[in-house]
Amino acid sequence: MRFFELQDAARGETLRLLALFALAVAATVLGVHLALALCWWALTLVSPFALEFPRLFFQVNVGVTLLLILGGWWIETSNLQDAGGAERLARRVGARESRPGVAHAEQRLCNIVDEVCIAAHMPRPMVMVMPRHQAINAFATGWDEDDAVVAVTQGALDLLTRDELQGMVAHECSHIHEGDTRLNMQLAGMVFGLELVWGFGDALRERGGIAVLFGSAIMAMGSVGWYAGRALQASVSRQREFLADARAVQWTRSRDGLGGVLRKALTQRQEAHAMPSDPAWPATVQHLLLLGQLAERGGWFDAHPPLALRIRRIYGRSMPALPLERPGAVTWA
Amino acid sequence: MAATWIVLAVVVVLVLWGTAVFNRLVQRRNRIANAFAQIDVQLKRRYDLIPNLVEVAKRYLTHEAATLEAVTRARAAAVGAAAVARAHPVDASAVNTLALAEQELGGSMGRLMVVAESYPELKADATMQSLGEELASTENRIGFARQAYNDEVLEYNDAAAQFPALVAARVFGFGPAAMLQSTQGAHEREAPRLAF
Repeated sequence: MRFFELQDAARGETLRLLALFALAVAATVLGVHLALALCWWALTLVSPFALEFPRLFFQVNVGVTLLLILGGWWIETSNLQDAGGAERLARRVGARESRPGVAHAEQRLCNIVDEVCIAAHMPRPMVMVMPRHQAINAFATGWDEDDAVVAVTQGALDLLTRDELQGMVAHECSHIHEGDTRLNMQLAGMVFGLELVWGFGDALRERGGIAVLFGSAIMAMGSVGWYAGRALQASVSRQREFLADARAVQWTRSRDGLGGVLRKALTQRQEAHAMPSDPAWPATVQHLLLLGQLAERGGWFDAHPPLALRIRRIYGRSMPALPLERPGAVTWA
Repeated sequence: MAATWIVLAVVVVLVLWGTAVFNRLVQRRNRIANAFAQIDVQLKRRYDLIPNLVEVAKRYLTHEAATLEAVTRARAAAVGAAAVARAHPVDASAVNTLALAEQELGGSMGRLMVVAESYPELKADATMQSLGEELASTENRIGFARQAYNDEVLEYNDAAAQFPALVAARVFGFGPAAMLQSTQGAHEREAPRLAF
């Protein structure tokens, strides 16, 4: 029952990271005040006449910074929500509704989604296919369980066995079940708020004169907060990937399902130069994909953990890559 | 005076907490009932699929009337046993009869698949392929529905048996729920298997 332990670990880590995120926001707010106070103090040293701290210095600094962060959060989250539901986002990436009555592979895909939803005890999301993508990949999106989409590339339909496709769908259903899209949207909103602090400092600097000093102070603090926010957002995203991997193993009770997908993805990455090039993924869905971008740096700002690490977590040890071959004739068993 | 207020506050907190635990346990118990109903739904789906499969197979398997007949008979017996078991869910003998009927059905389906192996036209039939996929999916669904039931039972038992919720669960009479054991023999657990 290792997958239950892995789930608990990922959930605990998420909570810890969210607390750190709140701390980072608070630190940015205080940091802006302290930096401004420092500038003012430096000003009193060079000033020919005595300077008092302005009235309500602390309140105004904290208030304005909070206004920027919360305002940015509000703007970004409502922007993301206004961009439309899950289906519109998927259509913009080139996904279309699956046609279970026409193609055997899509009948199988729809059946698999039904099966996983029974195992997960959740309502069935809309099933979509991205016919122009020949590489194995998939994504899930949706603000809640009732308005959710699971989209799978043509490559995944062609190159994966039934069990592997099941593991992949289970991973995506976990993102929907656990509300990961919503969580990520909230974090993206806060990160945008932190970016606004930086932008405010930048705008202040353009005034010239003494404002350059104060603007630079705000910019410095804003950029530290912004980077910390982005790094924490990415860490949360990586933990949610681990959680979804463990969920997939729980629901399918099979390591080789999702494990096979990830091992084939290893091969896919090695042979990337020989594969037909797919349409590029827009930035709005990159963090949603099952497999991150092909170039993997394992850095602080990656939304996905390295493939080899995910495989090691699923199997408990390293596993070799699997060859990419079409699973020949249709089998039913 | 202060003591009265403290006692009152403690009582209010206890009542609120008790209500929350009670509602959570009721919700979990209802989810178990729902998960159990899912299993029944999927078994019915299998019963509904089999006549279609037999119908298609009949067109090609003209000399295998006995095999097809056996499948049809086994299905009818299983449907009857399932209806009895649904009416008397606590009756061990009804559940046993259903298990035996399911075993018989699984066996006759397996024989049909073996026979079908030697009819390439049947294997190439698009409807047959589609029905085969549906049957494979249904076997998975039955398995997953059982698994989901057990997962729900696990969550309910965890919720009801952990301190301090355990105290409230005892007070309200929430006992532990039982997991589904596999009612099938090893022979029947093997789904009808055939590679096309």
